[in-house]
Parts: sequence; C-alpha cells; structure tokens
Amino acid sequence: METFNKNNPFKTPEDYFEGFNEKLQSKLSEESISLPKQEGFTIPHGYFDSLNGKILNKIERTETKVVQLNPFKKYYYVAASIAAMVLLIFGLNWNTTEELSFETLAEADIESYFENNTFDLSAYEIAEVIPLDELEINDMLTNRLEDENIVDYLDENTDDFEELNLEDYE
Amino acid sequence: MLAEADLVEELKDAKTQSRAFELLVNTYKQRLYWHIRSIVLNHDDADDVLQNTFVKVFRNINGFKGDSKLYSWMYRIATNEALSFLKQKSRKQGISNEELQNRTLENLEADVYFEGDEIQLQLQKAIATLPEKQKLVFNMKYFQELKYEEISEILETSVGGLKASYHLATKKIEAYLTND
Repeated sequence: METFNKNNPFKTPEDYFEGFNEKLQSKLSEESISLPKQEGFTIPHGYFDSLNGKILNKIERTETKVVQLNPFKKYYYVAASIAAMVLLIFGLNWNTTEELSFETLAEADIESYFENNTFDLSAYEIAEVIPLDELEINDMLTNRLEDENIVDYLDENTDDFEELNLEDYE
Repeated sequence: MLAEADLVEELKDAKTQSRAFELLVNTYKQRLYWHIRSIVLNHDDADDVLQNTFVKVFRNINGFKGDSKLYSWMYRIATNEALSFLKQKSRKQGISNEELQNRTLENLEADVYFEGDEIQLQLQKAIATLPEKQKLVFNMKYFQELKYEEISEILETSVGGLKASYHLATKKIEAYLTND
C-alpha cells in the first residue's frame, strides 16, 4: 500500500503507516507534560507515632509560659502608655535633637522588642486585643493603594480578562 | 468514630478532653501534616507548624462555634500558621519571602526527606512562582485532592473563584515547565 491510487504520483516510505500510531503517541507524550501526582516529600521513620507525645509536651510547656509572661505584659502596657502620654504632652514643644531622650529610647525599645521577640501570636490572638471598630482600613496599609498598584496587581494576577469570568467555566 | 459534634463536645469537657484530643490528633495529623508540608516544604518546619497548629486547636476549641466544619476550621488554622511561620522565618533572616522560598527550594535537592526526581523538583519550582492563593489552591486540589467545596470552606472563597485560581495555576505551571 505504498500509493493511494494509481493516479497519485507520491509514494511513502515502506511500512510508513504501520509505524505511524506509535510515532504519534510518542510525539503527543512529548508535548503534553505528564505531571507527577506525588510531591516527593518523605518523613522520618515513625514520625507520626511520636507526634502525640510531642504535642502534649508542647501544650504543657506553653501553658506555663503564658503564666510567666502575664506580669511582664502589664509593665509593657504601662510603659507604652507612659511613652504615649509623654509624646502627646511634650512632643510638640520639644526640639528634636540627635541626643537620646526618653521619648526616642522608649520608641526604639518598643520597636526592637517587637523585632527581636517571637510573640507567637496568631492573627486570631492579635485580633482579640485590637478593637476593630476603631481601625480604619488605611491603618493596615503601610502604603495607600494607588491606581497604578491595582493595575499592576491585576496585570500580574490575571492572564486575560476572559479568565475573570470563569464562574461557568467548568 | 465519633460524630463531629460529639467530638467537639468531648473536647470542651475537661473530663473527656484528653481522650478526645488524642482521637482528634490521630484523625487529622497526617492530612494536616501534608497540607503544611506543601506550604513550608521542609520536614522540620512542617513538624513545628503541625505541633503549633494542634496547640492552637487545643487552646481555642472552646471558642469553636461550629459555624464551619471542624476539619475546615483546623485546616484554616494550619494554613495561617504555616504562612505566618514563613513570614516570621524570613523576617528573622532579614530576607524577603521570595528569597526564603528560593533558598528552601535550593536546599530541597540536598534534603534527606525529599526523594523527588527531576520533574518533581521542577514542579515544586514552578509552584513556587505562583501567587500565594494560587499556590494553596493548586496544592490542595492537585496533591491533596480536596473537593472545591472543601477548599471553598477552608479558604473562605467562592467555588467559582477557586476554579479560576486553579485554572490559572495549571496554565502558569504548564508554561513554566514547557519554557524551562
């Protein structure tokens, strides 16, 4: 079956059609990426067996830690409120100098305290102590969102606009 | 196996708490571990975050109102814990989140607890290029094989939005792997 009909002047190599399916399959598998269904991560032997004990230990340890931290927290709040009062009362009248003052010390201390200590507070725990009704959205944003930022964000996160209407896609 | 509502009741009751907590840990430790591992990538970090997650669950169970399912509440805590763990870690090292991720990926090749082949490593690198939300959705759908409805409850996003994220994620991963 080297020619299709007698008027066709073209020929194919011998056994071309017999080997075609295989060649097509291998071509297809080259093009479509077959992604592995496993991540490749492993764990130490017996890890899950020893986990329960470790968690219970941690619960006991952290419960004691909370008790120790409480009185310290009080001092921290007192220090913070004094610093805030000093700032309010004297802040406007003081000339800013390079010298260390109580004001700069307290602020620097508070900042470095936050930087260097692991509070281990989750978003939930922070939310519990922050009065949400007094917060403005801008308090949470270090930089206000400009139109340019929003356009950049959309540019980066959507490939084209049709993809935004995917509710009925599947 | 106890019904979820009964388990929650037992967890809140001091008398039955420890037995119920053990049951809870045994039921969810593996699923939560693999979820966390897909976010933090390395075993020691995943171990830390998993323990913290269960500690948080234990401490906050009294505040669990049952508005969502227990497992999606726990998944949500695990996700938040893993993400804030990464932020804290990058802050401690004085580097950006992306830089931390790149370093973790570089270390993955030498990690004794990573036995992935070249394509699995490439896939992790491709996933790393995705925005946070798409990364989560891809891992939860593709590797953990969660249903859209389950992911929707955990991430508090509409199913439509999740499908869009997953679609974009797979497209980007495909593009990364074919161009690379």
